[in-house]
Amino acid sequence: MPRFWDSVTFRIALAYGGLMIVTLVVLSSIFYYYAVVVQAHGIDRRLLASSVNMSASFASQGTAGLSKEITELLNDGVSQDTEVYLLLDAKGQRLAGNLTAWPTDGVPYETLFTGDVTRYGRASESRMFWHRLLDGSTLVVGRDLLDKRRIRRLVWRSLGVGGGIALLLVIVSALFFRRLLVRNLAAIRSTTQAIQSGNLGQRIPLGKADDEFMRLSRDINQMLDRIQQLMDGVRHVSNSIAHNLRTPLSRTRGQLEEALRHNHDSTPLSEAAQAAIQEIDALIVVFERLLQIAEAESGTRRQPFEPVHLAAVVTDVVELYDAMAETRGMTLTAELKGDPVVQGDRHLLAAALANLVENAVKYADGSPDIRVSLIEEPQRTSILVEDKGPGVPPAELGRVTERFYRLESRVPGTGLGLSIVTAIAYLHQGRLQLEDAAPGLRARIVLPRTRLPLGRDVSG
Amino acid sequence: MPSPVSGAMAMRCLVIEDEAKTADYIRKGLEEEGHGVVLCADGDEGLRRGVGEQWDVVILDRMLPNGLDGLNILKSVRDAGKATPVIILSALASLDERVRGLREGGDDYLTKPFAFSELLARIDALTRRSKQQGEARELAVADLRMDLVKRKVERAGKPIALRPREFRLLEFMVRHQGQVITRTMLLESVWDCHFDPGTNIIDVQISRLRNKIDRGFSPPLLHTLRGEGYTIRADA
Repeated sequence: MPRFWDSVTFRIALAYGGLMIVTLVVLSSIFYYYAVVVQAHGIDRRLLASSVNMSASFASQGTAGLSKEITELLNDGVSQDTEVYLLLDAKGQRLAGNLTAWPTDGVPYETLFTGDVTRYGRASESRMFWHRLLDGSTLVVGRDLLDKRRIRRLVWRSLGVGGGIALLLVIVSALFFRRLLVRNLAAIRSTTQAIQSGNLGQRIPLGKADDEFMRLSRDINQMLDRIQQLMDGVRHVSNSIAHNLRTPLSRTRGQLEEALRHNHDSTPLSEAAQAAIQEIDALIVVFERLLQIAEAESGTRRQPFEPVHLAAVVTDVVELYDAMAETRGMTLTAELKGDPVVQGDRHLLAAALANLVENAVKYADGSPDIRVSLIEEPQRTSILVEDKGPGVPPAELGRVTERFYRLESRVPGTGLGLSIVTAIAYLHQGRLQLEDAAPGLRARIVLPRTRLPLGRDVSG
Repeated sequence: MPSPVSGAMAMRCLVIEDEAKTADYIRKGLEEEGHGVVLCADGDEGLRRGVGEQWDVVILDRMLPNGLDGLNILKSVRDAGKATPVIILSALASLDERVRGLREGGDDYLTKPFAFSELLARIDALTRRSKQQGEARELAVADLRMDLVKRKVERAGKPIALRPREFRLLEFMVRHQGQVITRTMLLESVWDCHFDPGTNIIDVQISRLRNKIDRGFSPPLLHTLRGEGYTIRADA
């Protein structure tokens, strides 16, 4: 039994079967109501009317006239199989009518009731109205409820037959549905099992019909594509991390070992120590940047968002790098109009901008000036860093934000700067845009103007 | 290495740090500077002594044994009404943690790994904090004068034109004259930068300032202390 219940097919079949039976019962009840109950009201009305009419006949013609009328009614060929008439004298002897047996004790007079009588020698359940006439005789007007019995029988029979057919249909369709389900799910299951065992390249074969299964399979395949992309990304990043941390570490280790080997002279040892400290400091920088990216990407810093005055951020960063730009014969200027405010983390936004400015100062050789500006639009606020240097080849624009990707290996750097900017922009529900400024590079941190509720995508 | 900062008074330092090598490294360094050091490897003991005794500075690690957070010790110290300068030392480097540490009553937050000179400079800046603060209208070192109201600088009577940020930089250094000032201290105090740009931008800023205040004058006031930072002082 539990195994049956675990099958979704069984549950669906059960639910449909139940639904079908409920429908049948409801339909039959409605039919029964109209066929029996509504008709019963009509019967009652007619019985009363006819009793009143016949009482009037009695008043004008007496018992004899009434007997005659009853005999006529019974022989007129109308409603022969249902009509019930009986006229009894004051002693209870039948004067006229078609009943051969009737209840004698405790019969309620002057009210409609249903009771058992014998009509032409056949037992019958009838609706009757017993009326005491003025001379003590009794007039019974009634109607055999034969058709009510017929209808009831009909309803029960149709319920039985209909229910049986319904059940049969449900079982057949459940079996069919189950086969369909098992066949379609088998493809999905075998793929997911293959993936569990490590074969991430596996995809669910898509059928021809564009049905729910096909759509589900397509969604799963797309999800797997995305996961594979991410996995490749992670693998690339961890390879890069390993490379970028291992290289300086082994260099340092080599230097120190070398210095130890010649330790009769103390000068190389202290030099090596100095060099080692420098290498380690550089490593700490790489390490901290990786953490910064991880932190921004995991979104744990979303909490302490506050209004940030971007003009102040730009001023701080520009005045930090202006001396460096001067030594390279460049002018770094901030062009500020207004004071846009965004919801964000001041220090992270400053770090992001510092990365862009540093890139411009480091790589925009021959660019006389670097401009940092703020642009306010109805939906968004952008921080722009523009230079007139060699720029980035269009083909590389997409790649420079990858971690550890370096366009120019002759200038020292970690290859993490733009990844940090991207992560920080993303944390602020914004993005980093790199454009060819022909000549030069235009880097733009686009931030949403007003803070939207969490979880909403901001791509406008 | 003899300290370039002379005349610092001997201090009583409490170091709450469970990692033996780091603790030893801090103790040796501070003792070389002539300070008295008490090490606590255990959080509970650190808490007891931090609250119960008088210290000139407390150096507090965040992640202590038994899952104890140094911030709890800090909170108890502050709850006991003590204003002892506390430097938090931690491998928890994120800005969030830093902000939390300072909000809980820490006076400074230093992330591991750190250079000893950085720690020393920060202790120095903290313990002498009150010295040159307040409503001074003018600052001076040797023949260099800063008018803080008119925002003007002159040396040997000659006016020196400084940009607003250069003025702030000079003001910070003059206020801490004679002390070692590290690059990160400058980044934080002058540029409000709480991240490490990882380049020599501060060196470039300092050399531009030096060109303005030292070139053509004698003696040089702005000194670079290799591997440590900078200092501004009259004597050579």
